[in-house]
Amino acid sequence: MNKRATIKISNIIKEAKDIKTFVFKHNLGAKPGQFIMLTDFEGGEKPFSLADCDTNTFTVTVKRIGEFTSRLFQKEIGDFLSVRGPFGSSFFISKGSVLLVGGGYGTPPLYFLAKELLKNGASVTVVNGAKSKDDLVFCDRFRELGVHYSNITQLGCLGREGTSVDLAQSALAKTKFDYVYAAGPEMMLKALQPILKEHEYEFLFERYMKCAIGICGNCTIDPLGIRLCVEGPVLPKKLVEQLTEFGKYHRDATGKRIEY
Amino acid sequence: MHNRLKTKFLGVEVKSPLVLPAGVMGMSFSGMHISKINGAGIVTSKSLTLQPRKGHKGPVVAEFEGGILNCMGLCNPGISDGLVEVDQFKERSRTPVIVSVFATNTADFLKLTTEVNKSKGDFLELNLSCPNVFDEFGIPLAASKEEVFKIVKAVKDISKLPVIAKLSPNVYNIVEIALAAQKAGADALCLINTVGPGMAIDAKIVKPVLFNKFGGLSGPCIKPIALKLIYQTYSAVEIPILGMGGVTCGIDAVEMLMAGATIIGVGTAVYYRGIEVFDKINHEIIQFMDENGYESIDNIPRLEKSDV
Repeated sequence: MNKRATIKISNIIKEAKDIKTFVFKHNLGAKPGQFIMLTDFEGGEKPFSLADCDTNTFTVTVKRIGEFTSRLFQKEIGDFLSVRGPFGSSFFISKGSVLLVGGGYGTPPLYFLAKELLKNGASVTVVNGAKSKDDLVFCDRFRELGVHYSNITQLGCLGREGTSVDLAQSALAKTKFDYVYAAGPEMMLKALQPILKEHEYEFLFERYMKCAIGICGNCTIDPLGIRLCVEGPVLPKKLVEQLTEFGKYHRDATGKRIEY
Repeated sequence: MHNRLKTKFLGVEVKSPLVLPAGVMGMSFSGMHISKINGAGIVTSKSLTLQPRKGHKGPVVAEFEGGILNCMGLCNPGISDGLVEVDQFKERSRTPVIVSVFATNTADFLKLTTEVNKSKGDFLELNLSCPNVFDEFGIPLAASKEEVFKIVKAVKDISKLPVIAKLSPNVYNIVEIALAAQKAGADALCLINTVGPGMAIDAKIVKPVLFNKFGGLSGPCIKPIALKLIYQTYSAVEIPILGMGGVTCGIDAVEMLMAGATIIGVGTAVYYRGIEVFDKINHEIIQFMDENGYESIDNIPRLEKSDV
């Protein structure tokens, strides 16, 4: 039952100013949307969505935010990290015409999803937004995949000013999509929700996670009590619509409600 | 069918003898709610402290063949926010709630009790036995019969709710501690908390897996210890026991009853069998009752008490 693996970092890719991708040679057997818990045993174990995974490699993309991620940023190729997982629910791999909406460093798991959707014969459109071009990731990777790709920044670094929700709105006006997927900051998902009334969708959520095995209760979402580490992090429309805390609050390490 | 699992704990009717114990899913009203709708007869809040606690840094869990080591470190939102969750749960449900509290001295336990008195909780559990805060607080109170007596007595004097003392398995003589709690007026006992603590090592990085180094053991490997301590305690006391420790299936729960428990906690099994574990075990208990000719849960016999 012990799903912990301690493995060497086989490559580190600098994505943007404070964003790096860590590559591991390991058969993790994860599906798009799932996550791992990562630690160096120096204090802290954090959840990261898989940005890619096949039979011998997996990658996670990390934004430098606090003490833990700052330490990760000092690691070098060949250093050991310890991994638990994969955990949680995964995206439904649809056929037909699909739209992927990503925001900031939340976008990478959509890359893994896009690959699987393409393999399944779907026609994939990706819209990617971030605050500035320093926060925009995976542009080249998406372009290389051969999906319909566009991006935008709030500061207008690349011409137009706007968010991925704006891009999604124009895409939805032009094309009939069978399924929509989104990953990014919660307020982005909240802004996206009203324009998806007619669409089936799945959102990738983020919450503070501790045990990742469905026991501690830190990542339950009100009012259903579903655990983001087990029933999530990918939730379908019918569950998202019932969440009263969505876009309103989340819980910190103590379990206290923190308003957005 | 579920009527056959109906029983009473301290005069309160419960639809199942299965209890969501402290530390599992009890962080929020919705965590308690999902446990209840999946078959728990009673739910317990996280052990609440006067101030919010972040708990230990991760990793806070490590799996091994026989169970799990955990060192959550009493993370909780603090008594006032924690009781908001309890009250919100009670607004939606008649299922009884045990409010668990943790402190390190009588004065703080009394402050916590005063707050719990104002809540919609049904029972007050004194966590005297968290094994994961040695560095911070030293040896658990449950290791000393004098401390247990002093705290339970003081709390009983002011508590509006029945008081349950949660005891540690990691003591030389649990009977004298259980008797001290009973003498002090405890209405019931809860045992066992996690065992050990124990340790896991990562052989590649050459470090302890848990950042706290040590963590309490739970899961199937501790069931024999739980059965023994519950039986010993049951043999010596008159008050009811909330028994727990490694219960994963219906037969485990039945064994707990036979050892002397009135109701049974199911915690780590939420990991092994999903949040549906309560309903699964409820069904397995009924299956056992069918196969062995017991009409109701209260007909399941207890072992004969013995001087052990």
